This record gives sequence, structure tokens and C-alpha cells, in this order.
Amino acid sequence: MKLKSLLAFSIAFSTAGAWADTATKAPLNITAIVMFLAFVLVTLGITYWAARRTKTTADFYAAGGGITGFQNGLAIAGDYMSAASFLGIAGLVYTSGFDGLIYAIGFLVGWPIVLLLIAEPLRNLGKYTFADVASFRLQQKPIRILAASGSLVTVIFYLIAQLVGAGKLIEVLFGLPYESAVIIVGVLMTLYVTFGGMLATTWVQLIKAILLLSGASLMALLVMAHFGFSFENMFAEAVKVHTKGAAIMAPGTLVSDPISAISLGIALMFGTAGLPHILMRFFTVKDAVQARRSVFYATGFIGYFYILTFIIGFGAIVLLLNNPDYFVDGKLVGGSNMAAIHLSRALGGDVLLGFISAVAFATILAVVSGLTLAGSSAISHDLYSTLVLKGERNEKKEIRASRIATICLGIIAVALGIVFENQNVAFMVGLAFCVAASANFPILLLSMYWRKLTTRGAVVGGSLGLITALILVVIGPTVWVDTFHFEKAIFPFKYPAIFSVCIAFVGIWLFSILDKSANAKKEEAAFDAQFVRSQTGIGISAAAEH
Amino acid sequence: MTHPDHIKQLPEYIALTRARKRIVWPLSIAIIGAYFALVLAMAFSPASLGTPIASGVTSIGITLGLGIIVFCMIITGIYVIYANRVIEPLTRAIVKKAGELK
Repeated sequence: MKLKSLLAFSIAFSTAGAWADTATKAPLNITAIVMFLAFVLVTLGITYWAARRTKTTADFYAAGGGITGFQNGLAIAGDYMSAASFLGIAGLVYTSGFDGLIYAIGFLVGWPIVLLLIAEPLRNLGKYTFADVASFRLQQKPIRILAASGSLVTVIFYLIAQLVGAGKLIEVLFGLPYESAVIIVGVLMTLYVTFGGMLATTWVQLIKAILLLSGASLMALLVMAHFGFSFENMFAEAVKVHTKGAAIMAPGTLVSDPISAISLGIALMFGTAGLPHILMRFFTVKDAVQARRSVFYATGFIGYFYILTFIIGFGAIVLLLNNPDYFVDGKLVGGSNMAAIHLSRALGGDVLLGFISAVAFATILAVVSGLTLAGSSAISHDLYSTLVLKGERNEKKEIRASRIATICLGIIAVALGIVFENQNVAFMVGLAFCVAASANFPILLLSMYWRKLTTRGAVVGGSLGLITALILVVIGPTVWVDTFHFEKAIFPFKYPAIFSVCIAFVGIWLFSILDKSANAKKEEAAFDAQFVRSQTGIGISAAAEH
Repeated sequence: MTHPDHIKQLPEYIALTRARKRIVWPLSIAIIGAYFALVLAMAFSPASLGTPIASGVTSIGITLGLGIIVFCMIITGIYVIYANRVIEPLTRAIVKKAGELK
């Protein structure tokens, strides 16, 4: 029972797991392919246009700072509305009702925290990456290495999970072999990022966000129309046809014990505030006012989108369960994650099916591009420029390094995506959120708000958080039992966030207050100047060369 | 005296940090409290969340869950309105005075 609930966890996080066993190659869907090719052509056109305007590091990392708050809000929402959350949450609602809502809420509640505590000081202190902020008054080298490691671990695990999920999804939707699907996605994302940088990545994200929101709105509208625009009617019908009956109105097996519940809550809420590809978006706007506006729009779009997804999941229960066309041997064709895709056909025939399939593909492309950009900027802006250039300002070298880093990341991600084809990759996304909450978030938060933070404290505590998160995930049920096939997990909980986040905070606190070095005094003395700037924006670097 | 020390003593700056605390604390506590209240209810008493809200089937849990999604949007809205009305004018005044201090 426990294992079952843990498996259910993985569904919302990863598009891969459930498709792995049921992926049968579908007949070619011509509408979907035509629409998808149109998307690829338009976005490649945008990349060409963006490439001609991407000359400086400010252009490459931050689109020259010329994105408006509204556009950025939509782009952030786009980064967040991955195919995993669209198909995964709709699929989870379809299988167990209320449980799908738990994820929708968890993914959203981090946003008010980002707005209240992170967004404005982040914009006021940083330039291109969150390591800029963490190392603002601390020693550049150790802090940047640590922050870049946290970013890269988060990005690579997230990226592999998305790519494997993408391969499986495309296999089912378009009938393409898995390897070709992963390579196509990998090549396109590398092209967007290498040539178009943040400008192209943002516009790809904007177009996809609009397509996804329109598609999901249309589907939810058709579902609601079916029930006379009454939630009560919809729930009543769903309870009638679902095998679990009225149980779909209450929490099921997803959150089984208090520790897991709280740990998942912590990982989702604070992991959001430590995702490097999300944090990076705040440097694409002009100032703190626009950063604030971005989060307001992003929260609105994401919340609206999750409500749509919830409606779509319930629509799928009523409209699919009674229709044998969508079932083989009593199982939904392609697994429960295909619920939203099948529903689009039930609602709008092959045209809507083609549209939604193409949008799902576009969504994957846009999300992996954002991740790749965040990874390559951690390599070039944080590692290469501090370790190799040693602080020397060299636009040309840094931008060339970031392009090479993008291509390398693309190759690594595709290779790992193919290697991990048949692995349960859910733990990678869990790990990404957990690392973000345990390493990136504590360092970022304390560097902005805690006067006594020292380099030593941040490095020791941050590393402890990072390592604890990694180790506890490996010896936990997902990897130890599901991947290594040991009988029993050494560490019984799937989400270690409650432990690793606490260890990170305590470690940072302890090693900071014990640090009596001259450096520590200097760092403490520098806090006032930093805090004034974080609050007022005086001395802020425009995301342009200076 | 260094530049930040001047700014720190400006009445507008003191008002700004106070204004921020006044809005950030209550809103953070509200959203963290609401979310973890639901998480704890799920952990310790899942069945009670399945209780229908009226005579129909719509449960308390579903209503609260959708409510929290809307609550997130409301919280960000409140903060943005407050920030634009209270925090922005203070910030602008500080930036202006800081320019004169140079």
C-alpha cells in the first residue's frame, strides 16, 4: 500500500514512470505533426531574430533586461507549467480525485513566499544568477562554486526527468522511436539556447504559455459546459462513475504519514524559491517593481492553470470512464498520464487532439530550454568567470564559454536521457526540488536577511544540506528499493526535505556564529550596505553592460 | 560616514523597513499557516476532509484546496497593491534623497 502511494507520488513529478510500461507506438497524427512543425518553424525564426540581437552577456543571460513584468510573469508561468504538471496532475486527478489537488496546491504555495521574501531583493542585488546575490558580501570563489553546484545538480536532474518524460510522451503521441524523440528535443533546445540565449528562450516560453493556457481553457470550458457550469454536478457524476466512488472527494493514499506530508510540503514550498531557472528570470526585468509585478502575474496564471487542470481531470473521469474506446484490457491507453490527451479527443475530435498533443510537445521544448540556459549560465558566469577568468571582465570569452557549455549540457542531457530510458526517473525531480530547498534556498535567504552569515557558515551548511539531500534520497525508498531492488530502504521516507533543510539551516547558523575570523567581521560589516541596496535598489546593476 | 549609513538614518528608510515588516510577516504567516494546516489535516484526519460541505458531494477538502489556490492569488494581489501604494513612494523618496546626498 505504502509503495503504491509512493508510486503515485512519482506520477505528478515525472511524466516518465507511468508511460514506461504502456508506451505503445501510436499511428501518426497528421494534425499534431503539422501544428508542431509550425511551432518549431516559428520558434526557429524567433531564434534567428534573437541571435542577431544577442551580443553581450547581458543579452545572453538576461535578454538585455528588456522584458516587461507581464511578459516575465507569463514566461515564469510557462517555465512552471511543464508537461509533467499538466498531464501529471490531470492524470492524478483522473485516478484519485483529491490527491491531484495536493500537488497543484503544493506547487503554487511557494509563489507568495517568492514574492514576499525573494523577488525584489534578488533583483536589487543580482545580475544574472542567484550566486551573484549569495556571493554579494561573501567570498566569491567558494560561494560561487557551491551555488553553481547546487544549480547544476538541480538543473541536470530536472532536465533528465523532463527529457525521459518527453521521449515517452512523443513515442505515444507521434509514433516516433524513443531515441529520435529525445535527440530531436535535445537538438532543438540546444539551438534555441546557444543562438538565441535568454531572448529566444523567453519568447519560446511566452508562445507556449499562451498556447497551453488557451488549449487548457478551451478544454475546461467544454467540460464545464457539459455539466451546466456546476462543480456540484461534475463531482456528483464523477463520484457515480469512478470505481473509488466518494473516496475521490478526500485524500487517498498519496500522503500516508505526517513526516512525508510535512516533508513534501517543505520541499514543494521552499524548493520553488531555489529553482535556478526560475530565479534567473528575475534578472530579465528592469527593476524590483517589474520583478514584483512578474510574480503577481505568474501566480495568477499558474493558479488559474491548476484549476483548469483539476477540471480537466474530473472531466476525464466522467467522459472517458464510460467509453470503451479509450481502454485496452481495462486500462487507459498509454497510462493515466494520457487522460488529458484522450479527453481532448473526446471533447473536440482529432483537431483538438492534434492541437493539445502539439502543445504538450511545445511545452517540453520550452521547459528544457529554460533549464539548459540556467545550467549553462551557472557554468560560464559562476564557474568559468571566477575560476578561469579569475574575475577578469571578458564579454567575448564568457559568452563563448556559455555557448560551449550549452552544447555540452545538451549532449550530456540527451545521452543521460537515452541511458535512463527505462529507469524510474521520478526521484530525479524529487531530488531537484529537495536540493533546491536544502542548498539553494537557505543560502539565498540567509545571505539576504541574516547579518551574521559568513562564508564559512554558508559553505559548510550549504554543502551539508546538498549532501544530506543526495544521500537520503539514495538510501530512501525510491532509489534503494525501486532502482537498486533492495528489500527495505535504510531511510524510510521518500522526501528527506524536513531533515536536509533543517540540517542546512542549523549548519549555516552554527558555523557562522562560531566563525571569529577577520573575514567574518568584514562580511558582517558589509551587511548594512547590502541590505540598503536590497531594499531600495540604490546601486542596482541594470541588466545591461556597464 | 559612508553612504549606506546616511540612507539608514533617513526617516523614509526607517518607514520603509517598518512598512515591509508590517506586510511581509502577516502575509507569510497566513499562507504558510493555511497550507500547513491543510497538510496536517491530510496527514492526521484525511476522512474529515471528505465530509460533504452541504447536502451534495462537494467535500470540505476540495473546497479548502481550491480555496488555497485562490488565496495565493489574493495574497500576491494584496502585497502588490500595498507595495505600489506604500513601499514605492517611500523607495522613490529615498532614491531621490540618496542622489542629493552624493
